[in-house]
Amino acid sequence: MNRTESKARDDGGALLEVRGLTVTFGTPRGDVDVVRDLSFTVDRRQTLGIVGESGSGKSMTSLAVMGLLPKGATASGSIRLDGVEILGKSDAALRKLRGNSMAMVFQDPLSSLNPYYTVGLQITEAYRAHHNVSRKAARAVAIEALDRVRIKDPHLRIDHYPHQFSGGMRQRIMIAIALCCEPDLVIADEPTTALDVTVQAQILELMADLQAETGTGMIFITHDLAVVSQVAQDVVVMNGGVQVEAGSTEQIFSAPQHDYTRALLAAIPRLDDDLEELKMVGDFRTGATR
Amino acid sequence: MSAGEPLLEARNLVKEFTTNTGGVLSGKKRAFRAVDDVSFAVGRARTVAVVGESGSGKSTTARMVARLMPADGGSVLLDGEDVTHGTGAALKHFRSQVQVVFQDPFSSLNPRHTVDRIITAPLDYQGMGVPGGKRQLVKGLMERVGLNPDHSGRYPSQFSGGQAQRIGIARALAVKPKLLICDEAVSALDVSVQAQVINLFKSLQAEDGYSIIFIAHDLAVVRQIAHDVVVMNRGAVVESGTRDEIFDNPTQPYTRSLLAAIPTINPEWEARRRVNEQRERAALT
Repeated sequence: MNRTESKARDDGGALLEVRGLTVTFGTPRGDVDVVRDLSFTVDRRQTLGIVGESGSGKSMTSLAVMGLLPKGATASGSIRLDGVEILGKSDAALRKLRGNSMAMVFQDPLSSLNPYYTVGLQITEAYRAHHNVSRKAARAVAIEALDRVRIKDPHLRIDHYPHQFSGGMRQRIMIAIALCCEPDLVIADEPTTALDVTVQAQILELMADLQAETGTGMIFITHDLAVVSQVAQDVVVMNGGVQVEAGSTEQIFSAPQHDYTRALLAAIPRLDDDLEELKMVGDFRTGATR
Repeated sequence: MSAGEPLLEARNLVKEFTTNTGGVLSGKKRAFRAVDDVSFAVGRARTVAVVGESGSGKSTTARMVARLMPADGGSVLLDGEDVTHGTGAALKHFRSQVQVVFQDPFSSLNPRHTVDRIITAPLDYQGMGVPGGKRQLVKGLMERVGLNPDHSGRYPSQFSGGQAQRIGIARALAVKPKLLICDEAVSALDVSVQAQVINLFKSLQAEDGYSIIFIAHDLAVVRQIAHDVVVMNRGAVVESGTRDEIFDNPTQPYTRSLLAAIPTINPEWEARRRVNEQRERAALT
């Protein structure tokens, strides 16, 4: 794929600017905020890591940005993509943005791919949704997309079904689908969590290479602090729907300011250290001193 | 591994699955060896971790050792006795000594049973009497695994993932087993909860002296809990030894590649963080 011209104006402004994002679920017992007053920015060529444990609101944040919140959830605040407010846009307008300007890579590639269709068809489907091209031209794009995510023999593999690929290969295909329209922003939600460590290392390397090639901005959502320390330039730590701490990756990992971040870092099982007892985040929650 | 007779020995275990080649209708079958000649020993009060990537055969091995799946070859010895094919009373006796903790606490606990009933179920199957009464035993076990004993009438869905895993551990410990088999028992948990459950396994082991077979794919977790490590790949044992042998001096390229792939935090940042925290602690005192 020749990247002719970036769809986004590269005027130095932030690619994505989220201000005061609040996601609320209406329940019979009243409204519940699963994300409260969250603000962050993502620049081009940069990766923002969002880390948190389950229930911290990290995935809801990504769904709000994509305009994919489940029924019953409402978002308020401001989400500006390339200077344009996208919160509150119509479904049709959002559909035009999704895939084209922003794309998502999910955790489980097997449930995100349709088992009945060849991978080639699924890539071209994404491409043709935004480009008025012939099947043949789209197929050429799909072959190139597979080649770009380092799948061998792409002209043969394009006619294979998802089950004929390994877990790591399937995630490569998901990345190929996400990148085929050359989006400005990619949101990766736990993209390597379901993968073996050796495969995870390969996928992380691939994502870094592709980002260097295309200059996309990325939000990388994960519960794994070690992974985020390797991929992100900036990090937001979330707990219970709110931002606990934010800063450059180096800052967060070398001089965490908040007790929750510290407890989280102390709870990671280490390879280089014998801890008599792993420190517990629970100590922080109950207010006991460590 | 530890001196003396091991508690459990797995000798040349084999498991074959038949797969259809060339479509379901062709009738052509081919045997696929998921576990191929796997042997290892578990010492008393020791934790042996079996590690490997998906498809390495580690869970299949665990299931054969736990007698949840018949072995196609080889044998399992518990206390020097062959328990590979025992049935009836022999199998029942085996189950009173070997218990399993599964990965997903919610799918391994009956959602319609109270915690009380879940924890005492192994005792009922065993027909074991309890000195002091079941209620007392359940309360004691719940306390030991860090649950509020007053919650024994609740259902699994009323607990968090970490708490539900503790219920699974309490159930496994009810019959006072000699061996716990933990199949990815902390993989589904958040890092903070994971740390709590690992600590729990270790402290209870120190009290009760049971052995553990710990199946896991996360080597950092394994390093925190295991005394001995067995590395598996494609159904076979690649390398085994004490924890420090495997982590500090792996001899096999596969083990090395597995260790090298683990994501780690920049050690410089880590060092600085520790210095910062020590300084703050010193300033407080």
